[in-house]
Amino acid sequence: MIRVAAIADVHFSMDSRGRLRDHWSRLHESADVLLIGGDLTTHGEREQARVLAEEISVVQVPVVVVLGNHDYHSDDADGVRDEMERAGAVVLEGESTTLQVNGIRLGVAGAKGFGGGFAGACGSAFGEPEMKAFVRHTERIAARLYDELNGLQADYRVALLHYSPVKETLAGERLEIYPFLGSYLLAEAIDKAGADLAIHGHAHLGQEKGVTARGLPVRNVALPVLRRAYAVYNLEHHSAHEADEMAEAVLAQ
Amino acid sequence: MNTDYQYLVGRIQAALAAHPRTNKLDVKIMIAGGKVHLLGQTATEERRLAIAEVVAEAVPDMDVRNELTVMVIGSPCQAEDICD
Repeated sequence: MIRVAAIADVHFSMDSRGRLRDHWSRLHESADVLLIGGDLTTHGEREQARVLAEEISVVQVPVVVVLGNHDYHSDDADGVRDEMERAGAVVLEGESTTLQVNGIRLGVAGAKGFGGGFAGACGSAFGEPEMKAFVRHTERIAARLYDELNGLQADYRVALLHYSPVKETLAGERLEIYPFLGSYLLAEAIDKAGADLAIHGHAHLGQEKGVTARGLPVRNVALPVLRRAYAVYNLEHHSAHEADEMAEAVLAQ
Repeated sequence: MNTDYQYLVGRIQAALAAHPRTNKLDVKIMIAGGKVHLLGQTATEERRLAIAEVVAEAVPDMDVRNELTVMVIGSPCQAEDICD
């Protein structure tokens, strides 16, 4: 088993110092890794990322992050990334990493993701160049996510995103803005490659739990959704024998 | 909703998103009884006050009611087991 802590949308600024420090300093007692799903800052300034880096420095387990849309606002995403890496975090943007935790390999493929909407109500690469560019940006990210997930050699695989791959975790948000909150192309990539868990943020008014079309668990860990310093997900594979025993126990009830 | 109010809500949302003091996208804005009501949560008291100030600058002729609350971050609760 591996214990994955996750949070997103912490939106750090100069007034955020110490906001998560107490919780994160004890995180290693309940989790083996911390994943942060983007929107690290309010508007993507290096100085804001530095405040979050100070908080990350107290975390005693590996930290893996992706950036969110807010982290691009000041056109200094490289500065945000640099501050995270100086704090020891692994930053993924269309990339992946494999961590060794107690002899178990955890593979994480990470990307910001992007919008476009969900099957039946989504944008297409059609018409004006701006519309094509919008949709093709998501297509490129989804293709990269698939490649990175598919290439992971690990005992457990997690997709770490900022934008949502499914609409179930958006419930509570206004339907009109769903195309700006995520894209089914991300879920399609995850389902095709396979994963044990998909993490995202971005939808502050959404809900925590959802699944892909293939039934893979998706969790929206935006801070305004969780209202706690992080969630912990214990990932565990059951052997075929254990699965049979559990099925028999359920049938016997 | 009064047609003019719709445009006001749009103007306020644009100001909150773009203003460097706020850069906030998830404030619920309601105009009722000629007043602007701001609903939702912020991370800090400083940001709660900044949002109301930015809105007041965007629509200086309107009465702004700041009903935002500051989110309290809770301790992590029980882990969820995800098994296949």
